[in-house]
Amino acid sequence: MSETAIGRGWGGQDVRRELHSELLEINMGPQHPATHGVLRLLVRTDGEIVHGVTAHIGYLHRCAEKIAEGCDWRQWMVYTDRFDYLAPINMNFGYAVAVERMLGVRVPERAEHIRVICAELQRIASHLIAIGTFGLDMGAWTPLLYCFREREEILNILERLTGGRMLYNYFDIGGLRFDAYDGFERDVLAFVNIMEQKIPEYDTLLSYNKIFIERTADVGVIDLATCLAYGCTGPVLRGAGVPFDCRKDDPYSIYDRFEFDIPYGEGEQGTVGDCWDRYMVRMREMYESCRIIRQAVDALPGGPVKAEDLKKLVKVPQGSLYTRTESSKGEIGYHVFADGGSKPFRTKVRSPSFSNLHVIEKVGPGMMLSDLVATVGSLDIVLGEIDR
Amino acid sequence: MEATAIHALLQSRFGDAVSDYVDGFEKGSLVAAGRVAEIAAFLRDDPALGFESLMCLTGLDWDGYDASGKGKSVDILGYDELGRPQASDRVGDGDLGVAYALYSHRHGHKHTLFVRVTRAAPEVASTAAVWPTAAWHEREAWDLVGIRFTGHPDLKRILLDEGWEGHPLRKDYVMPGAWQGVPLDGRDYAACKWDESGVTLPDDVKRPEGPQQPEGTQQPESGNQG
Amino acid sequence: MQVMTDLFARVFGDGLSPLGLLIAGGLTMALIMALVMASCAIVFTWAERKVAGFIQSRYGPMRVGRWHGVLQPVADMVKILGKEDIVPQDADKPLFLLAPFVIFVGSLMAWAAIPFAPGFIAADLDLGLFYIFAVSSAATIGILMAGWASNNKWSLYGAARGAAQAVSYEIPLALACIPVVMITGSLNMNDIVIAQQGGIWRWHFLHDPFLFVAFLLYFVASIAEVNRGPFDLPETESELVAGYHTEYTGMRFAFFFLAEYANLFLVSCIATAVFLGGWQPLFGPVFLPGLVFVIKAVLLVLLQMWLRWTLPRLRVDQLMHVCWKVMVPLALVCVLGAGIWMLATGQAG
Repeated sequence: MSETAIGRGWGGQDVRRELHSELLEINMGPQHPATHGVLRLLVRTDGEIVHGVTAHIGYLHRCAEKIAEGCDWRQWMVYTDRFDYLAPINMNFGYAVAVERMLGVRVPERAEHIRVICAELQRIASHLIAIGTFGLDMGAWTPLLYCFREREEILNILERLTGGRMLYNYFDIGGLRFDAYDGFERDVLAFVNIMEQKIPEYDTLLSYNKIFIERTADVGVIDLATCLAYGCTGPVLRGAGVPFDCRKDDPYSIYDRFEFDIPYGEGEQGTVGDCWDRYMVRMREMYESCRIIRQAVDALPGGPVKAEDLKKLVKVPQGSLYTRTESSKGEIGYHVFADGGSKPFRTKVRSPSFSNLHVIEKVGPGMMLSDLVATVGSLDIVLGEIDR
Repeated sequence: MEATAIHALLQSRFGDAVSDYVDGFEKGSLVAAGRVAEIAAFLRDDPALGFESLMCLTGLDWDGYDASGKGKSVDILGYDELGRPQASDRVGDGDLGVAYALYSHRHGHKHTLFVRVTRAAPEVASTAAVWPTAAWHEREAWDLVGIRFTGHPDLKRILLDEGWEGHPLRKDYVMPGAWQGVPLDGRDYAACKWDESGVTLPDDVKRPEGPQQPEGTQQPESGNQG
Repeated sequence: MQVMTDLFARVFGDGLSPLGLLIAGGLTMALIMALVMASCAIVFTWAERKVAGFIQSRYGPMRVGRWHGVLQPVADMVKILGKEDIVPQDADKPLFLLAPFVIFVGSLMAWAAIPFAPGFIAADLDLGLFYIFAVSSAATIGILMAGWASNNKWSLYGAARGAAQAVSYEIPLALACIPVVMITGSLNMNDIVIAQQGGIWRWHFLHDPFLFVAFLLYFVASIAEVNRGPFDLPETESELVAGYHTEYTGMRFAFFFLAEYANLFLVSCIATAVFLGGWQPLFGPVFLPGLVFVIKAVLLVLLQMWLRWTLPRLRVDQLMHVCWKVMVPLALVCVLGAGIWMLATGQAG
């Protein structure tokens, strides 16, 4: 081994050539408390410094895209839940919007508003897990339990609404499967009130904690050029300093009617694009989601929740379209190819975590093992959508 | 920039390599498989185009797509009376292809590149040098559809196991009857014989034709169990 | 041990020779220390789970035993004893089997010099404090043995980190106690405690500002010594699964656990004896010395638990940085400062 190992805190470290040593190849995963799912990271290390990372995925591959060729358009909605099982509503949303654009069908107003409310609630729930597990990776056991306390409220609302706590299958092509229950708006507003008070609690406990900042600021810096080259989207891209968000760049549903800001990383505690920035982007996005929910509930009209002129057996005219929507992890895209029949010809799911994970192979070398865990945690990956 | 203008610019630059303008729900260009890498580099580097973002790279099997606009979807989830999934009786004869969905953050415009290759020689130039994210997407296209990307740094299976045979997203894909000794077609273990040398499967278990992996497939990495 | 030998002398009269009294007294004290060690593990597992629960906005154990799950540790013990004893195939068997005991013994030996009450000390050594520090380092060998012998790269990481951490933090730990030794003029634990009589203002940690800082340094270094709280990188779950004791199950794992909680109580007892007045009460005459000592030590243990569940953990190089670049210089400054204070206030003799 005749390379110079460079790491934080160690300075330049020259390896003496006459000293024979090898890189240690070590497996993180597939069963590991820190890899957020069944992921295998093959890490080559020299002591604590990582020299190379290779990600092996596919442990959760269920070939949903092949199954799509055997179901009809509405039936496949239930499979979209299983991609990002921490934010299934966002997955449903993307697919519904993709097919509706190709069909040219107008979704009723009430359905649009409820869709937005559910999607933003889901975004908050997903970010709560991201923040909690990120803290857990850093050794802070307590914020996780606090985040789950709030997530429990969201899951209760969604259970009353859809019948499911984790996988909902609530959206339908052309609207929703059924209407919201009485008292939905009251519950949602009560939750948003609680949420806005609890976010400062997480800030006190975790965000500005000196040890947490030491562990995450200046760690795992992914700059803008790398993000764009590796197709990173969502909080990873926004952490690199740009306010790119599908809800503003490529508006879908009724997002263009609501007023909200896009938080992005500014290098407040360290460098722009470090783990702390990505974490803070998620914290601030929860505030913005609360804003959107309030506006949506205020504007919630009555009326039907299913498009009227849509047949039960949907046939999408021939053509292809790539539709992207903003999930909590990034840009979820459905590249849908229809051949005019009642079943999808090809639905390719472009999942945000797939590209976000790829960047670890570029950014990994040179950091310490603990930093690798922090960076993988800050990317917020879900193996369900990586492997599909 | 309008998609027609982008198409015209590409045609003026690359001539024959850029053939049809695709005008559907998404606008794009049909390009030649061998020159995709150059076209991609131009799309990324030209200041007026500025496509720094490859949003999605989709590999697919075009078989059955353009039969007069009323394609017949392939029914692959039928089961016979013994509970075995039925093989598709479609003989694959269509083209394979790739679709690149591009987006420019700078200008806000989108474009889609379509590529068609024959089943006999499914080779497309790799764009991994232009958009590094394509490296994994192309591995997935190889894995699931069987399109070989020339110039790819490390083309091996990504989602399926390295020893898997066949490319599932092809329309004529036949699921193997067994894998590593485990029957996959609804039969129970009693139909197999087990002894010290392993599992002997009954003769009528279906297997796909021949190995379908690139030459020089890398061996599974020697990560010691840590 | 004096109490024990006196007790035996009274019971057996002249039936036992002085050597016999010594042996009987010594063995009884050893037994009592071992029982204390085991029971503190039991009590503190329950306390830890309750403390963790309440900090995390939940209850903790509630069902086993009538009141707030008090019998939970008993259930845990029964479960652990019932587990299969697995030794990994290519593990270095002798080292693997011996490691938990080395750690346990390293901790148990240090208990010999803790002054619980006047006369109730297993070995009244003139070298008391020095002996404690010397002997508790033996546990580091056990950590290295466990990590190496497991034939597991993650265990090796944990062991390497643990050994580095333990060895490094012993320096500020010992340095912080030196001012106390300077004031008392003796390493004997009994003398150190007796020197603090006369109410809270005579306790060493309030003696002068340098000693207060020394107490804080000792407290932080002791958390690092026992691999707890923000310094638990050797056994961090999120990176190393369980660090150097990943491959251990059943009773051997229970030994690691026992040793960890015993160590926790040990360093708290040392802090109590050296800085917080030992069995001396807040004010007034000596009253229930053993209870006073235990209460002070338990309060320190609860403080350590509180820290563990609140703070994230430090990375290994940050840990080393804190030790060598912050705590050691600060400890040296405290030694110097305490000495100057003593000279200035005329206490040096």
